[in-house]
Amino acid sequence: MQTAEDCSPLTTHVLNTGDGVPAARMAVSLHRLDPQMILWSLVSVGTTDVDGRCPGLVTKEAFTPGMYKIRFETGQYWESLGQCCLHPYVEVVFTVVNPDQKLHLPLLFSRFSYSTHSAS
Amino acid sequence: MKTHRILHISNHILTANKGADMAALPSSPLSTHVLNTGLGIPAVQIALSLHFVDKSTGNWSLLNTGLTDADGRCPGLISEASFIPGVYKIRFETEQYWKNLGEDCFYPYVEIVFRVTNPFQKLHIPLLLSRFSYCTYRGS
Repeated sequence: MQTAEDCSPLTTHVLNTGDGVPAARMAVSLHRLDPQMILWSLVSVGTTDVDGRCPGLVTKEAFTPGMYKIRFETGQYWESLGQCCLHPYVEVVFTVVNPDQKLHLPLLFSRFSYSTHSAS
Repeated sequence: MKTHRILHISNHILTANKGADMAALPSSPLSTHVLNTGLGIPAVQIALSLHFVDKSTGNWSLLNTGLTDADGRCPGLISEASFIPGVYKIRFETEQYWKNLGEDCFYPYVEIVFRVTNPFQKLHIPLLLSRFSYCTYRGS
């Protein structure tokens, strides 16, 4: 799913604030809630690069209005560093009203905390 | 008077709301505190629910529901006897909360999933929330 240029209308940036570094090699997945509001379907999976970014999360065509969630495998990330953590994973659920507007959803996290915000 | 101020003040006048389905338990080993950072006030009457995951099936089961009080807290989330090691989540109905204040919100709900390894240690999971951001951390 990762491409050289990031034309995805949705981007993320994952930062390990505990160590003050980008979170590299973290598994990330994007899901959309189906219109009947019953099940989540997988849109894409990826892994963050050395900058903590994950290009190519979704295409413009696939990024339709609706409810989405990005899941960050934070527990696996800390485990690969030999550390335990409080949150086995982080899921950020959000609503897309205007898919023409670029959305940036960063995740700043440590072993015992995280924060996210919406930027365009 | 703005809606959020009415809600805030009315909760001081009414008897303390401990939530529809919760008994007034002495002291829950798990607590939360929801703060509306957009307005700089406690998040009053935000609906929330506590869930526990079955390790073998991966299915979530509902343990409790409640509403935050005038301080943005929700006493009696769980009893000491029920607080066993495992993976829990607290779900906060953020969109409904902001809708009640006449605003929209980027997040339809917020779920914070956390692991309990030592159930004898009190755990505090706050949520600092605005319409376009939130953060959580392990407090005491």
